[in-house]
Amino acid sequence: MVTRWKYWNASMSKIAKALILSISLGLPPLASAFPLNSKKAPESLEDLLEIQAALQAALPNAEAATVCVDLGEGTGSGVIVSKDGLVMTAAHVSTAVGKKVTIIMEDGTKLKAETLGLMAETDAALIQILEDAPNENGYPFVEVNQTDDTKLGDWVFSLGHSGGFKKERGAVVRIARLVRMANNTIQTDGTLIGGDSGGPLFDMDGRLIGIHSRVGPQLPVNMHVPVRVFLDSWDRMMKSEFIGEGPFAQKPEIGKGFLGVGTEPVDGGLEITKVGKGSPAENEGLVVGDVIKSFNGEKTETKERMKELLAEMAPGDKLELEIIRDGKNETIKMQLGSR
Amino acid sequence: MEKMKRSRCSSVRARLAVLWLACAGVVSAQQSLETTFRITGDTVLAVFSPQAEVIQKCSAVFYDGRDEIAYGVVISEDGYVLTKASEIEGIEDLSVRVDKESYKDVVVISVDARWDVALVKVDGERLEPAVFAESSDLAQGTWVVVNGATSRTKRRVLAGVISANAREIPADGGVVLGVELGNDKDKLVIKAVTEGGGAETAGMQAEDILKAVDGVEVKDLEGLVEALEGKKEGDKVSISLIRKKESLELEVELSARGELFAEADRNDQMSGDFSKRRSGFPRVIQHDILANSQTMGGPVINLEGHLVGMNIARANRAETFAIPVEELRELSERMLRESKN
Repeated sequence: MVTRWKYWNASMSKIAKALILSISLGLPPLASAFPLNSKKAPESLEDLLEIQAALQAALPNAEAATVCVDLGEGTGSGVIVSKDGLVMTAAHVSTAVGKKVTIIMEDGTKLKAETLGLMAETDAALIQILEDAPNENGYPFVEVNQTDDTKLGDWVFSLGHSGGFKKERGAVVRIARLVRMANNTIQTDGTLIGGDSGGPLFDMDGRLIGIHSRVGPQLPVNMHVPVRVFLDSWDRMMKSEFIGEGPFAQKPEIGKGFLGVGTEPVDGGLEITKVGKGSPAENEGLVVGDVIKSFNGEKTETKERMKELLAEMAPGDKLELEIIRDGKNETIKMQLGSR
Repeated sequence: MEKMKRSRCSSVRARLAVLWLACAGVVSAQQSLETTFRITGDTVLAVFSPQAEVIQKCSAVFYDGRDEIAYGVVISEDGYVLTKASEIEGIEDLSVRVDKESYKDVVVISVDARWDVALVKVDGERLEPAVFAESSDLAQGTWVVVNGATSRTKRRVLAGVISANAREIPADGGVVLGVELGNDKDKLVIKAVTEGGGAETAGMQAEDILKAVDGVEVKDLEGLVEALEGKKEGDKVSISLIRKKESLELEVELSARGELFAEADRNDQMSGDFSKRRSGFPRVIQHDILANSQTMGGPVINLEGHLVGMNIARANRAETFAIPVEELRELSERMLRESKN
């Protein structure tokens, strides 16, 4: 999988910056404990107001860092964890490695982004925003609680763009307690719905402790991926690895990559004679008459050769095409679709 | 809790979600928080007992026979109650319980279709009405308390927080009369009348020819869309018809297209029981408290025990809307005033 990336460097500087962050994430975090977590339940009005005050103190930054992940065919949520725009989300939201997605900020700003690695078995994934932050402070981001010190009964809160991005409404907050813990899952009683997937679960200090994953048949059953799962495979995900097999994401199958053109050999390459409606080729603006000279640096002189090259590729793979259009050389960078 | 009317809420399954659940790790019993300490648990809710005393007095329960169908807000000592109109519409065996008292004679005084609120009168005496707060302008994350379940004698509370910005909820998909139109040239012939829509209630029929909306002539679909532009869900329009060569005037209440025609989407399937009428509100506040369609209409109070809103729609699994107290005060004053004219 990784080797197939050698052709694609457009976003590498961003990703390299993010790699540096993975080291800074290794710094010892600040110790903090929300006092009410030591009580089995709030006992007084003062206790309730303490929960409310902590929640309201944490909300502005938590909301600024909570994003909508727009996939075109649907939306999920995510949360920014570095000033360079690294986003944590769920694997069933990102669905693939190296996929182009749009990140929508709290104020509606849309940003180009690309999915990094994911863990298909535990529903963890990373996304990198590819655009520069509006100012030197970088993107708003939240601290990741790396201490793994959350425990049963802790007060927590969920944020997410429930049912999709609605600017007037904003992200939806839900107060909850941590009601079950397992190796790869934590459960809370704050109700989630479609669109929340990939969104953040916070402790009362506003530190990220989990990512929304799925719900059970009852309202109080809401499952999250603990940040520990992310941290365990952090470097592999940063290197855009597709880790594990399903159920939250399916590995693209080699040979199923789809371009969507018909060609005939001419001098210098293959001339496009047909462009499939709605195909990746059409979406990238390839037109009849373009001559394909090479395919990821490999010369395409015969139809058979191009077929061979395509047979080694999978949906979502990056493709760099050298073409001749109106007598001029051009390079087209695109991603294959699915057959 | 299970006995107290939560069952319908949890019975609907989201297929996909269940499939994924099967993949979740095995959770041992020791790692599970006892129910009583959960956000809907007795120990946690015990701290809200001052608010529960308020809810006990000012949250009414509406019954169809023995079935609870909605809650309401007691707004006067002599038995005026506000509730969600669409939940009590057409119920013949309507009764109301306030505190421990049951009232069999229930008079629906008036309905405000835009807000989906009904003003109801029971023969109460010395009831303890809700105390209206000055403002519903509560920061996101502020505790609120509602009537979450009930028994014959006791209202049970649930608590949560203000979860999103106050805003308008426009009619889902725009407003419609509730008819299917034919393709005839130069005239609007009704092909069918949609069940449950305003056109059906008003008595529109297939083969009727639509001539005008609010006195403005309409000849085609564009004309009709134009005539309904700017109208809100619950608004009434005057429809001029030709039926068997005779002219006819009908008053039709507008519905939200999405509520009348749309199929349940994946989020709806996941949500379980949600309110039939859940859009077309001029302004709402939103909270995160578990609810279902039968727990709408009741008071939303703050920690001081003052009314900050009235639950008006269970939109989905994660979102519940309430009419803000400012609008509710104005609405209740207007409806009371009109009832006495």
